[in-house]
Amino acid sequence: MKKNMLWIALAALIIPSLARGLLFYRGVPQRPEIATPDYQALTVSQPPLKAQQVDEDIKQVSGIILFDFAHANQYQSAEVQSLKEAIEKRGGQVEVNTDSTLLEYKLKYASAYVVISPSLSNTENEIRVVKEYVERGGRLLVFADATRGLLNYDFFSGSVVNYADTNAVNPLLAPFDITVNNDYLYNVDEHEGNFRNVFFDDFGKDELTFGLKQVVLYGTHSLKSPSGLILLRGTESTLSSVDDAHDPDEGGAALSENGNVLVLGDFTFLTSPYQNVADNATLIANLADFAMGSKQTISLANFPYIFTQSVVQVYPASDIQLTAETIAAISGLQTSLQYVGNSIKIVNEVPRDGDTLILGTFASSADLLKFIDPFNISMDESSETITIKNFGDVGRAGNGILLFEKNKDGNTLTLLADTPEDLLSLLATLTSGSLYGCVLQDDIGICSVGYGGSYSEDTGEDTATEGTATPEPASTEVTPTPSG
Amino acid sequence: MNQNDLKWEHIRIWLLWLALPLVIGILIASAIPQPVIGIIRLDDAIYASTARDMITQINYAIDHPEIRAVVLAFDSPGGTVVDTEAVYMELARLRAKKPVITAVNGMAASGAYYLSANTDYIYAKPTSLVGNIGVIGYLPPSPFIFEEIISTGPYKLWGSPRDSDMRQIDMIKEGFFQAVMLGRGDRVKVGPEVVLSGQIWIGSEAVRIGIADALGTETDAFNKAAELAKVKNYKTVDLRSLSGIADVYSPFFIQSPDGATLPYPADAGLYMLFIPQLPGQK
Repeated sequence: MKKNMLWIALAALIIPSLARGLLFYRGVPQRPEIATPDYQALTVSQPPLKAQQVDEDIKQVSGIILFDFAHANQYQSAEVQSLKEAIEKRGGQVEVNTDSTLLEYKLKYASAYVVISPSLSNTENEIRVVKEYVERGGRLLVFADATRGLLNYDFFSGSVVNYADTNAVNPLLAPFDITVNNDYLYNVDEHEGNFRNVFFDDFGKDELTFGLKQVVLYGTHSLKSPSGLILLRGTESTLSSVDDAHDPDEGGAALSENGNVLVLGDFTFLTSPYQNVADNATLIANLADFAMGSKQTISLANFPYIFTQSVVQVYPASDIQLTAETIAAISGLQTSLQYVGNSIKIVNEVPRDGDTLILGTFASSADLLKFIDPFNISMDESSETITIKNFGDVGRAGNGILLFEKNKDGNTLTLLADTPEDLLSLLATLTSGSLYGCVLQDDIGICSVGYGGSYSEDTGEDTATEGTATPEPASTEVTPTPSG
Repeated sequence: MNQNDLKWEHIRIWLLWLALPLVIGILIASAIPQPVIGIIRLDDAIYASTARDMITQINYAIDHPEIRAVVLAFDSPGGTVVDTEAVYMELARLRAKKPVITAVNGMAASGAYYLSANTDYIYAKPTSLVGNIGVIGYLPPSPFIFEEIISTGPYKLWGSPRDSDMRQIDMIKEGFFQAVMLGRGDRVKVGPEVVLSGQIWIGSEAVRIGIADALGTETDAFNKAAELAKVKNYKTVDLRSLSGIADVYSPFFIQSPDGATLPYPADAGLYMLFIPQLPGQK
């Protein structure tokens, strides 16, 4: 009996706790091991720096590289110092163009035209000028940059609009079938310090990518060029910010089909310290070689940048007297040519080589057959006209003719007119530093130099309707002669 | 012994052997606490003040055994890196002992998601904003000197070189990524390129890609916490009031002159923070 009571008492003692425990608790929770990041093991990534390139054997070539600074370009001179230094190491000179009205004039002598992150679009005329420049063999380097857009605050909507430089560069690049996408490339898997700093190790085959194993662009637009060549291609994990997808036909740099237009989606890689990361220094050297490798065809349209040597020999034909008026006219031309780095030397024999300026009249053409024959010009003294291939019959009186011949030993410009007086007028036209008012076709130009003969009878006609009339520059600048 | 005496003997025996032990048993049972599931709310950015409050509540939950689990209820865009990390590490201590469940109300972005990743289960509303995994900061300017300010080194004024800042931010992002992967493990159904994209997802999408576990309410979060803590008939308490935190308002965001709060931090620094628009935008 007592034993039973003991059990009852024990049960009475325990059951309330058991009941309450079961009411609230259904077991002992097992906690997993909680792992946290190994912060100590995290390290700051370091860029794959290369030692400064030692350029022991750089080919020295002369040439002027024209940097655009007339389109609200979003860069500072110091930021592109690495490229400028590479150009200067190769014997090139850097000139900055701050006046877009001078573009056509300056592109006559520039080896390359460099446009960096412009905010203002080029005019249709500028685009035409650049297109013609590239067609002549000039080289165009365009650097866009995904980090250099202009932020504009809209007070009405309260929103911020980013005007990317792609708006300004794409019209300029359209004639060359290159498009800069309004995006940026990124890679969250493998990058140089930040997802927007993209490695490129797949290169289009070209001299521009010679010696490259890996380059890094820092916030680059993607580029496409259906007819051209993509030079820098990212890995499959390199994505465009527009659609977060990889496009193997797009990359960070593109070269036009004719090989004269190079576009990069970034220029931050030119800045310190990024110019020494990976093979960026080699890329910059290749860019300088590209800029200096221009093979711009010199034509009459390039006047006064048509001579390749520092001294231009002036040969007056036998019927040209060195009168005071003639000397004054030659002196005026000398002043004009000095602006572009040429000096004049009058010679009394037909020069065998070197840059030459021949002065003569139509009557003296027999002495100058060597210079006239290549142009298929018929000068019959009994006729009041001269027959020029592609021009047809041109009145002798009141017109001056320019004949330009390129030669590896020097270039020759022959000036012919009906009379010595007309020749002086023709010289005066050249003294202005341009051929405004002249009709140019290939290497032949015809300039109106007065009134007389058949020309005066046809004053109602405008003979300057064909060919290319070069506009007068706003001003001339002192620039050295371009390389041959 | 007469009948009366016998009757009283039985009563005495029952009182001694049943009623008394029962009363004692009940008294003892009453000492068994009703399980409590605490809730820590974060309806602000994570910065020194809010982080300190959260840590106080976390420590309270660790120190009080009746608190069997904790629910973190978020409506936060994240905040400073260092304050987020401070809470994260204290949260790891709590989680080692007790289940912690996240209930995303309006938003658990960036630093707030960093904390969510260190919980056992994440509930979100269908249109809660979740994710924005990553770090944001402004690069210092390239060093220059002022005539009137004398410092003792090129970075005394600016803190660090721009390039170093960029790389440090990337390193911090790696820590964030590790925290997400350690916390979520194979529940994350997308690759690192998606996780680290910085995207902010609505709750239903976050669940689909494994950034969150399920759509649910705070009640669901309490029930899940109870399930993991193996408790029933629990009561819920707001740990803020229990732990004796006073309401002190210290603004983290820029206050405009007209009294509006802008979504940008008042001070420069490194942030695990969701900023809905670029600086300059309304």
